[in-house]
Amino acid sequence: MSLLNRVVLVVDDDPDICWALDHLLGGLGARCIRALDCQGALQAARLNRPALVLLDAKLPDMDGLVVARQIRCAAPGIPILMVSGYFYKDDPAIQAALEQGLICGFVEKPFSHTAIIAAMETALCPQKTGLTGFPRGTGPGIAERSPL
Amino acid sequence: MQGAFQAAQAASGLFEESPLPIWIYDPRTLAFLAVNEAAVALYGYSREDFLAMTVGQLCLATDRAAHCAAVGRPPAPVERRETWRQVRKDGAVIYVEAARSTVMVGGKSACLVIASDISEGKRFELLYRSLLDAIPSSVLLLDEDLRVVSANRNFLTKSRQSAAQTTGKRLTEVFPEVIIAEMGLEGQVRNVFRNNQATQGQRLTYRTPGVPIRVYYYSLVPVSWGARVDHVLFLMDDVTEQMQMSEEIRQMERHLASVVESASDIVLSTDIKGNIFTWNKAAQKASGYSFEEVRGRPFFQYCGEAGVRKFFSRKSSLESSGMTEGNLKTKEGNHRSVSWVLSQMTNDAGQAVGFVIVGRDLTERRKLEMQIQESQKLASLGVMARGIAHEIRTPLTIASSAAQFLAEENLAPEFHRECAEKVYSGIRKASTIIENLLRFAHPTTNQNKTPVDLPHVVKGALSIVGNQARVQNIEVRTHLPAESCQILGVAGLLEQVFINLFLNAMNAMPNGGTLDVSAERHGGDLLVRVTDTGEGISPEDLDRIFDPFYTKALSGKGTGLGLSICHSIVVQHQGSISVESQSGKGSTFTVKLPPLSPAEKVKR
Repeated sequence: MSLLNRVVLVVDDDPDICWALDHLLGGLGARCIRALDCQGALQAARLNRPALVLLDAKLPDMDGLVVARQIRCAAPGIPILMVSGYFYKDDPAIQAALEQGLICGFVEKPFSHTAIIAAMETALCPQKTGLTGFPRGTGPGIAERSPL
Repeated sequence: MQGAFQAAQAASGLFEESPLPIWIYDPRTLAFLAVNEAAVALYGYSREDFLAMTVGQLCLATDRAAHCAAVGRPPAPVERRETWRQVRKDGAVIYVEAARSTVMVGGKSACLVIASDISEGKRFELLYRSLLDAIPSSVLLLDEDLRVVSANRNFLTKSRQSAAQTTGKRLTEVFPEVIIAEMGLEGQVRNVFRNNQATQGQRLTYRTPGVPIRVYYYSLVPVSWGARVDHVLFLMDDVTEQMQMSEEIRQMERHLASVVESASDIVLSTDIKGNIFTWNKAAQKASGYSFEEVRGRPFFQYCGEAGVRKFFSRKSSLESSGMTEGNLKTKEGNHRSVSWVLSQMTNDAGQAVGFVIVGRDLTERRKLEMQIQESQKLASLGVMARGIAHEIRTPLTIASSAAQFLAEENLAPEFHRECAEKVYSGIRKASTIIENLLRFAHPTTNQNKTPVDLPHVVKGALSIVGNQARVQNIEVRTHLPAESCQILGVAGLLEQVFINLFLNAMNAMPNGGTLDVSAERHGGDLLVRVTDTGEGISPEDLDRIFDPFYTKALSGKGTGLGLSICHSIVVQHQGSISVESQSGKGSTFTVKLPPLSPAEKVKR
């Protein structure tokens, strides 16, 4: 599924990361909304019903994985892609979050634009992998593992 | 006849009027035949009493048999005086010196006894004997023929001889000839007779058969009348026990000396002014100076530390011992790091007579401490790894992303410029973080203390752990003085102290919180307080918190060395570290350090 005209919520406390993702998404025709912390993220998720959330693992007020859980509750059904330098791809915490279906993918910082675009598209188009939704223990997984 | 009668009359007059007691007895029956007035006066018996008695009855019952046998024998042809012990009618014991001779009475031979009361003199003699027997020395009285005139009880006991075996015997018969020959005893005794001068004490080892060896000190003392020496006293003191005791004392002294000599610590002593009095092998080895080179010199010539000087100068202080870390100047002109323990030596009266100084060479310990500090640093880096990764990866991500935009074609010039700027600033940020880390991880080789600005060190430490604080959602609040607060120290080590304290505080706040860091002057000291809003420390843990390897952190999160290293580094800086904590509310660690003294500021 194309990112064209889709609303993507970027949650990162670093404005420069937001700047980079904003430009990347803009180039793909998507609309980027930014949140710098957990409160902003929850509010934006509820109000704007984004198609996808790009979530950092460390926010000033809360851990990324906790934020993911809260977004799940506040606005169920929105796929969440974790974009972080705090974890590594085989990190047990990430593996557990993927298995629980808390996040639908993980992109390690620094990322290649190709890899993150692929991960976003996979997240938006789970059918491509022959799956519907993100049941427990399945999910598109890590960007590098599920290239287009 | 007339002449004979007159002579008899005269003799009778002499007999009666003699001031000496005289009596005549029958040697066969021992019955008294006649007594004079003086005898009556001496013994207290009347003439009638006497004439009804035998001479044996004047004796003590115990002496009677021997006495009767002796007086039953005819007198010696040459007059010989005998000493008798006798009893008066009132029971008093007296000593008499008696001369016996044979007289004819009524055609029969009889014994005439002229006695003289020598009780007075005898008492002195007895006193003399009992004195001689009482003294714990062996005493022999020798005459000019080198015969033993008398031997006291001590001598008889020690030599296991009887009075009969010694009295009247020559010196050679009393002592083994080997000893007499070896000591030249006879010659010495003769010299004393000749010179009338006592000899100095000399040692004599004497072994009576069957008795362990004894050691004596003996001297020969002349007993003289005017210029003539009658007798020589041979005085012997048994000093075997004293010899053994002094041998034991010598052994103990040798043992103590070897303890001090063999100690691996520097052990030295000084007089009350601090001048070196003893100096053991370890001191020699550590300093390169031999004892001869340092003897009598002031100790602080070799240890220029102020702490040691101070200790010597406050002689009147109540404190009798002190501890300080300092240096030992070596002969090659280097300094060795030494921890000194100084104690006052006092005499039995409690007066200070000097100092005992024990020094432990810290060179090895410092090396080990440095290794531990290094490994602990690596452990801290492990704890910080996630924070470091996150912090470095963020600017790298921006740079990486911007670089990827730059690779695209037809970029707007404005965006192109913006991307280049982001690449540059991202790399710069990452580089700064790495630089801080390098500074921390770099081995601290320079352990020399220099003036260090304490708030600056605290800020440096904060910049290293800042990343970790951010990822743990910890707010850092600082209250650091604007003006410089200098101390004498090793910046790298002090930074490690604060990093450890900050990480420790942050560990206590896994769910975020506030880290308060303040520095201030308080009294004469500089205080740095590190306060967290974490879980706090239980009272039982508080006591052990500075012990090495004591940790409450989950495995992999801490080595348990951090706080013990903080403690050791702070002590090395003559400071102290303390902790207060309230369970559930948080803890405050306070580091107290002495500021740079004005004198040291000038010196540097």
